[in-house]
Amino acid sequence: MTQGTPAGSPRHHWVVRVTHWVNVVALSLMVGSGLRIFNAYPAFARKGETFCCYPFEGMAIPSWLTFGGWLAGARQWHFAMMWVLVVNGLIYMAWVYLHGEWRDLVPRRGDLRDSVEMVKYYAFVRKDHPRQGKHNALQKAAYFALPWIALLTVVSGIAIWKPVQFAGLTDLLGGYTWARYWHFVSMVAVVAIAVGHVFMVFAVDPYALRSMTTGGWSERLSPEARNARPFINLKL
Amino acid sequence: MNRREMIAAAGATFGSALLTACDSTGPARAAGALTFAQHKNETLERALFSHRSRDRVAPGVGVAGDKFPSYFISDRVPIWDAAMRGAWRLEVGGMVSRPMAFSLDDLMRLERQTQRVNHYCVEGWTAVADFTGVPVSALAAACGVDPASRFVDFESFDDGYHESWDIESAMHPQTIIVYGKDGSPLSAAYGAPARVHSPVKYGYKNTKYLTRVMFLPAANGGYWSDRGYEWYGGL
Repeated sequence: MTQGTPAGSPRHHWVVRVTHWVNVVALSLMVGSGLRIFNAYPAFARKGETFCCYPFEGMAIPSWLTFGGWLAGARQWHFAMMWVLVVNGLIYMAWVYLHGEWRDLVPRRGDLRDSVEMVKYYAFVRKDHPRQGKHNALQKAAYFALPWIALLTVVSGIAIWKPVQFAGLTDLLGGYTWARYWHFVSMVAVVAIAVGHVFMVFAVDPYALRSMTTGGWSERLSPEARNARPFINLKL
Repeated sequence: MNRREMIAAAGATFGSALLTACDSTGPARAAGALTFAQHKNETLERALFSHRSRDRVAPGVGVAGDKFPSYFISDRVPIWDAAMRGAWRLEVGGMVSRPMAFSLDDLMRLERQTQRVNHYCVEGWTAVADFTGVPVSALAAACGVDPASRFVDFESFDDGYHESWDIESAMHPQTIIVYGKDGSPLSAAYGAPARVHSPVKYGYKNTKYLTRVMFLPAANGGYWSDRGYEWYGGL
């Protein structure tokens, strides 16, 4: 039996549903325009130097992954959409905090063990779906980590936006070159979590599309009730 | 249409919309909103700007030397043709009480400043150089700039290239009229006889091959600013 969502109430509050889908659009446009900006210099090395930690120096990102058309166009989108992303993110975080929803997301003692159990279950080592609250332990880890990684993307973004006015912040991140690197690496981490998330939605819990849109859901369709693994027991 | 077909159709529509959107400049209707955001951003950036801010190059970081990219818009490296155009002079005019024309020697006799700074290109790369020159603020003082002047236009002989700035950025202590790079006279590849350089503006704002510095009551656009890049271009 899944706990954390009282019967009859929407699985996700409308604030969560709205900010989730605004985030889908804003994040996609930020990543796409960011990659288009990156393609103007798809490397990290300061001129006349080499960079230790990026194996793909000089290799452009495929244009179908980019947005904005050209450098100036992408910059316009990036510096406009950043406000949507940040304000939307702040609304979500404030709501999660004030409404107590953070209790479903913060790590607790035993989450590590539960994560191992989830991995064992998905790997067919364990037969039955582990008991869970609103989210399973792996989901909790992803949803909890995401805002913190996104915070690093935002802070490093501010550092490369104003490396002279906020020289102290840029120095804190190791200077402009490293701040730009952290901006990129943390973005890749956010995208990796998002891709994993979307994959699991379609492979394990497509009913989440409904609960994240209308809020409607049914306990008997939960992954735990269906004993669902990726592509297994998609239907009841 | 059952629910599954509906989800599939919605997914296909969304997916193809995304694919069409890829690497496009986005819907034309967004242009107004983007321009609005850019203006609001500029207001914020100008509020954040401080003359106490300094670009810092970490100790131990050397200059890029000839790895410093060379860039100009003419087909060939622009070189001042003294036989055709007379001796090179840097004119300072507009809203000043003493319009002047400086020879290179004149500039070198003014306050001299050498600084190791980053050059920030809008493309995302940076290059470090030791630049030597005269602060624009010293030039402004020498010519008696009208306090009502709010903008400065830096003009060049590189095929009409110019970029106008807000006066606050031009008066930043690290904004200088450069005539020396890495301990040598500025070479033609990097904007000789003189160029403006400041770490508070992206490279495209830093006009090379200078001919005139005009103090103005209003902004006057610029080569890249008129082609879609932010006019402010500040760091």
